[in-house]
Parts: sequence; structure tokens; C-alpha cells
Amino acid sequence: MKPAAAPTVFIVDDDGGVRRAVQDLVESVGLRAESFATGQEFLSKKRTSEPSCLVLDVRLPQMSGLDFQRTLADIGMQIPIIFITAHGDIPMSVRALKSGAVEFLTKPFRDQDLLDAIQQALQRDRAARAQQDEVQELHGRYLALTARERAVMGMVVAGMLSKQIASEIGISEATVKIHRGNVMQKMQAGSLIELVRMADKLRPVLPQ
Amino acid sequence: MTALKRADEERQALARKLEESNARLEEAQRVAHVGHWEWDLETNEVVWSDETYRIFGLKPQERPMELADVRGMIHPDDRESLFGGVDVDLSAGAYPVAEFRIVRPSGEVRTVHAITSKRWSAPPVDSNGTASGGARRLFGTVQDITENKRVAEERQALSRDLQESNARLEQAQRLVHMGYYEWNLITGRVTWSAELYRIYGLSPQDGPIDMALVSEMIHPDDRERVFRESDEAIRSGVPAAAEHRVVRPDGEVRTVHGLGTVKRNAAGLAFEMFGTVQDITDRKRAEDALQRSQLELRREQAYLAEAQSLTHTGSWAANFHTGQNYHVSEEIYRLHGFDPGKGPVGADSFYKTIHPDDESFVWGIIKNANHARTDFEIPEYRICRPDGAIRTLRAIGHHNPSGEMGEYVGITMDITERKRAEAERERLRQLEADLARVNRVNMMGELAAALAHEIKQPITASVTSANALMRWLAYDPPDLDRARAAASRIEEDANRAANVIDSLRSFYKTGTPTERQIIDVKEIIEQMSGLLRGEADRHTITIYSEVDPDTPNILANPVQLQQVFMNLMLNAIEAMKDIGGTLTIRSRIDPENRLFVSISDTGIGLPTGSAEQVFEPFHTTKPQGTGMGLTITRSIVESYGGRVWATANQGKGATFNFILPYNAEAPV
Repeated sequence: MKPAAAPTVFIVDDDGGVRRAVQDLVESVGLRAESFATGQEFLSKKRTSEPSCLVLDVRLPQMSGLDFQRTLADIGMQIPIIFITAHGDIPMSVRALKSGAVEFLTKPFRDQDLLDAIQQALQRDRAARAQQDEVQELHGRYLALTARERAVMGMVVAGMLSKQIASEIGISEATVKIHRGNVMQKMQAGSLIELVRMADKLRPVLPQ
Repeated sequence: MTALKRADEERQALARKLEESNARLEEAQRVAHVGHWEWDLETNEVVWSDETYRIFGLKPQERPMELADVRGMIHPDDRESLFGGVDVDLSAGAYPVAEFRIVRPSGEVRTVHAITSKRWSAPPVDSNGTASGGARRLFGTVQDITENKRVAEERQALSRDLQESNARLEQAQRLVHMGYYEWNLITGRVTWSAELYRIYGLSPQDGPIDMALVSEMIHPDDRERVFRESDEAIRSGVPAAAEHRVVRPDGEVRTVHGLGTVKRNAAGLAFEMFGTVQDITDRKRAEDALQRSQLELRREQAYLAEAQSLTHTGSWAANFHTGQNYHVSEEIYRLHGFDPGKGPVGADSFYKTIHPDDESFVWGIIKNANHARTDFEIPEYRICRPDGAIRTLRAIGHHNPSGEMGEYVGITMDITERKRAEAERERLRQLEADLARVNRVNMMGELAAALAHEIKQPITASVTSANALMRWLAYDPPDLDRARAAASRIEEDANRAANVIDSLRSFYKTGTPTERQIIDVKEIIEQMSGLLRGEADRHTITIYSEVDPDTPNILANPVQLQQVFMNLMLNAIEAMKDIGGTLTIRSRIDPENRLFVSISDTGIGLPTGSAEQVFEPFHTTKPQGTGMGLTITRSIVESYGGRVWATANQGKGATFNFILPYNAEAPV
């Protein structure tokens, strides 16, 4: 963890009044805030590594907030989103939440609800970032494995015994055990359970 | 004795001669109706010859006559002048000649002519040799000229008659424009009556006429026929009758009718043709005109009947007092359900068709008018036709001021269909009004939803700012600068909310639908765009306006005009709801000084086929739509004398256009 990075709340709302008021509210609780009139403006902003979240108006001039949420997912930008809307209906909120939104607030909202949602979103972002850091670490370790070691690891976490692995690859059981030992060591796994968990975390970033 | 005898014989011979001579005189007098007389002026004795007695209606020598007798027999009117003149004439030495009337004892009046002369028995001559003492006797003749006079008078009368009848003939010829001719077939000479000259446009002084001239004056197209027919008449002896034209010297063409008969001598040779020629130009013209006017009259009557049938209006003339119909047009029969072809229908039958519920009303009006001798109008009453159909009629009666009591001419019209149409129109109008109201309520609902968002924005902003403000104040020490900034934002946003509400209120501000005022169309477009921008944004629709600075103001009801804009704009938004797009409002003045507005979208476009069907009532694509928005829009626009229509865009979507007259008069 790098505690130095101050969390930032991004706000996208075409209504200047709402934008400024939300930014001020966020700042009044000691958080950094940056606001944008359109999603495009937000996208052009260079992202830093501190935890952040996005307060997003559902209704935007060019592209609706829900569409913008999808766009962000498409380009791989993961940021917790809190939707605010002046005329949210249930189908819209369900869709937003299903797509991973932290919260769906209808205007006018209670300030505490928004601030709670922001805290929750930042927390989620922090967790996500931590998880991301861990995966990156594991990935680094994984890249240190030889091709044979990666193959052995795959079979180990799939629950195969050394003997089975040996016959599968066509090497001796003893050689399998040596590879297995290397994997445990390079991956810094204390137990088979731990290695399985690591493999799970790595799965999304590994080619199938 | 011999001498005496001879003297006696002589005397006897003389007497015989005298007697003979007297007898001859008598005879002569009788034949000539001439008598003679002697009047002794001393004794007033009068001696008459036998014929004189006869002339006076007496027997010869019936009795001796005295002057008094004679006087008595003179016609009283002639008596004085006769005797008054005798002395004067005699003293002047003249032989008076007199014509006077006598009255016979039978009372018969005769006219006689008398010649008087003096006769002296012993002419007294004085020393100067002058006869003195006056005539002692008058001698004279009297002739009965009654017959002569009568004959003379008759002859005179005859000649007068002849003259008169000639004049009358002449006049008659003139009056009927008829002349006659005599055509001597042997010499070829032609004689014309004066009128015939005039008919041919000549004057009797123009001299004799010959057949060559006559032929020349007959219209070239008729010439051959006329002569052929007269030749035929001469040969066959059948009188010729021919109508033909003559050309007068001045070029005027007259139509004449000629009749001719042929005279033959004992040997059967035709020697003369006598005929009449009548100028029938005017008569023919009159006949033609009459014929034309009769034709026209018949045509007029046909038109009238047609007009009556078309307008379901019949005419009549009747006496309501006596219950007599003078005239009933065929249409009246039809209106009352009678067949005009089935003969006349009595007034009673017409009266009986009046609906029992309206009878007293109808007769009340007619009777009042009868007594007051005024016109009447029954605006509306029902009849029950023989076939049971109930019809509504209207009758107007015009009192004939010169006629008797109860005499009216008038019309009756069938207003059943008109009334039905009126009721239907009223129902439709009501329906339209209801739908327009529903549309407005509906529209306001949509508008309110759209505006709810617009109001929530500033409210959210100010509530959030208020929260922030409290947090800034809660700092220790309070961050007053930030708090102040938040407070001013609150004010700003609250005002913004108020503005939105104002704009909504301006739309809600209804007033009566007929209230008209000068409307700034540019302002309305701005207002409507503002109101709907939120709704548009929500569906990712951008509103553009291209408002020409020359866009005219118009006289209209603001609510109705807002409704037109709102309907068309909501319609455009609806068309792009799921795909987003651009809504463009354009306004300008068109070449005919009218307001032209178009509202374009880039949406789903018009239905294939007729673009008109979008204006049909209940045509809708929206699940919640009434399908009346565009119908009502059209009805409003057209009520201002404008027009609204839809066109498909080149690319995507549709354009709705409307035109409103510059100084549009709002409907009543």
C-alpha cells in the first residue's frame, strides 16, 4: 500500500450548478474533487494511481451515463461509479447496478447518502487497486516460471497427482516433484491451497 | 151663220187645240213632276195645276186653295225664309228661285223647287211709264225634286264612301304593311299600291315598276323559288303563296309574304296576276322572339324545378282562409311525400301531414298572419309523410297585399338534412374541442415530466450546496469563504428553479381559447426549445433553431400556438427517442407574407405510403399516445387559415411544416 496517494472524486454532470455543488460538498469533507461537463472531457484526463470514483449524471447531452459506463468497461477503465439522476426509474437503476455501479441516487439526494456512496466507492477502488497490485505481483512471479513449470503448475492447481502429471507429460514422477518444488518456491506459495488461490487470481490475466 | 159657224168652229178648234195643249202640258207636268200655280196678291187666291195638287199630296182640283192653305203645307222650318224672301226678291226685280220642303197631308215630306215670276192682269203704267202698284199676281212652277235630291245625295254618299273606303284601304294597307299589285301578264306592266312601294323601300313617286326591277329586289337566295312558284300558279291556277325576302335599295332585308291569284279571260287565257304582299319582318321577329322566349320560359321552368329539387325548396300560392291552393310546385308534392305524377292533391292532404305536436304551433302562426295580413315564417316544423317518414320543414309566406284575406305566396323547404348536418357538425366540433382539451392535458403531462427534471437540477444543486455550506460552517474555525460561495450558489440555483417554474406557468396560463394577441413567434420558439431541451437531452437529442430575424409576429391565441409547437416538437422527439438525433426548428416569412415554420427530425421517418395519414385521428406509434396530437395541430392551424403538412427528409427522418397567415384571424 502507498498511503501517500489522496483519493480523488471525479464528477461528470452537464448541469454546472449541480457540478459545482457536488464538487464543493466533496471538498467539504476533505476529498479531492474534479468535475467535467461531459464524459469526453473526463476521458481526456490522465489518470493517476490514487483511488478514485466517478459521480456520473445519467442524462448527458451526447451520450447517456449508462452508455458511458459501458464505454469505460470497453476500454478497460475500472472506476467505481455512483449514478445520480433527476428522473431515474427502476429499470434504469437495475441496469446501472448490474453493470457494476456502486450506487444509484435520484436528485435531489441526501448529502450523506452521496458521501457514503463515495466512501464506499473509494473503498471498493482501493480494494480493487490492492487486488490489482497483488495480481501484478503474482503475475511477475508467474512470468519467472519456465514453460514446463507453468505446465506443471496448471495441472497441480487442477488437482492432478504427481504420478498423473508424469504420465501426462511423459516424464518421471521425480522430475515432476522437482518442478513442483520450483513452482512453490518461485510463486512464494506456502501451501497447495495458497497456490490454488493465486492461480485463481491470475486466471483473468492469463491466456486460456 | 156661216161666219158665226166658222167662228164657232174656229173657236171650237182653238178650244180643242188649247185643250190638247193643256193636256200635253198636264202630261208633261206629270212626267216631269212639275206643276204650276198662280197667286193673286190682292185676294190671296191661289190657283194650282193638277200636278201641283199631286205634288202637294192632294187630288187634282180637290178644293180651291188659299194662301193660308199653302202656307200651312210648307215645312215649318222653311216657311219664314220662303215667304220672307219673296217680297225682297220681287221688289228687286229678281225672279226668286227657292228650294223648300212641303209636308203632305199624309205627313210625307217632299222637297220641291219653285221658280216664280210676275204676271199682270192690267199693267198699270203711270205717267212716267213705270209700272206701279206692284205685281198683282205671281206665277210660278213647282217641281218635286225629292227623288233627284235623294239620288244626288246617294251618289254623293256613295262617292264619299268610296273615297273613305279607299282611304281606309290605304290606311289598312299601311297598318298591316300589306300592299297589292296587278301584273298584266300580256303587257308585262306592273302596278303597285303605294304601300307596296313603301314595303320595297321605294316611294310611289319613283315611277312605274317592271318585273325586272321586282326580280332584282328579291333576295338572290329566294329569287328562283319565287318565280318558279308564280309560274306554277299561272299554269295551275292555284293561288300562289310564298314567303321570301326582299332587299331594299338601302340594303335592309325584309321578309314578306306574297299571295297571288291569276285572272283568266273567257277563253281561259291568264291575262293578269293580282296579289298582295305583306311585310312580315316585324311579325316574324316578334314570332321568333316569342318562340325564343317561350323556349326560354320552358328552360327557366326546368331550371326552376331543378333548383327546387336541388335545394329541397318548393313554391306555392294558397288561400289559408278558404283552404284553396292556387299553385303547388312539384317539389312541394315530393317534400310532403306525394307523387306529383299521380294528379293533384288537395290542400287538406297537405295540412294533414303536419305533425300533431306541431299543428297548433303552425296554425297559430298562419292564423295570426292571416288576421294581421302580414308575412309569416315558420322556422321549423315537422311533418309525417304518408310513408311514415318524419321530416323537418321551414315555410315562409308572403301576404299578397292586393289579394283577399288569407292569400299567400311562399316557399317551403326541407331542412331535415341541414338540421342533421348541423347537429353532426356541432357534435364533431364538441368532440374536437374535447380532444383538443385532452391533448392539452396530455401534453402538459409530458411537459411536466420533462420539466420535473429541469426543476430538480437547480434544486439538487442548491440542496447540495446548502449541505456543503453547513459542513464549511462546521469547521473549526468555520471556512467562511467557502460557506459564502456555497450560499451565493444556493441563491443562483434557487432563481434558476424559479425561472423554470415561471416558464411552465407561462405555458399553463391558458385564458379562453378565443383570446388572441400579437405573438412574437421567435420568443415562442425560444420558450418551447427551452422547455423541451431537457426532454430532448434525455433522449440524446439536440435542438437547433434557425430563426430568421424577419420571422413575423402573428395574431393568434398563444395557448393554441404553443400547442402547435409543442405537438410537433414532441412528435419529433418521439421519432428519435430510441436513436437520438437532431431536432431543427426553422422559421421565416414566406413570399406571400406568411409565417413559415418547419420542424425537422432525424428519426424513424414517416409511414410508408401516405404522409397524410399521420394527421388522421388516432394514428399513433406511441404506446401511450392518443393519436390526436397531429390531428389537433392540423385543426388549430387550419382554423387560422393556415396549412400543415409532412415531408420525408432526404436523409433520415421527417419534416413537419406549417404556414400561418401573417394577420391570421382566429376562429370564432
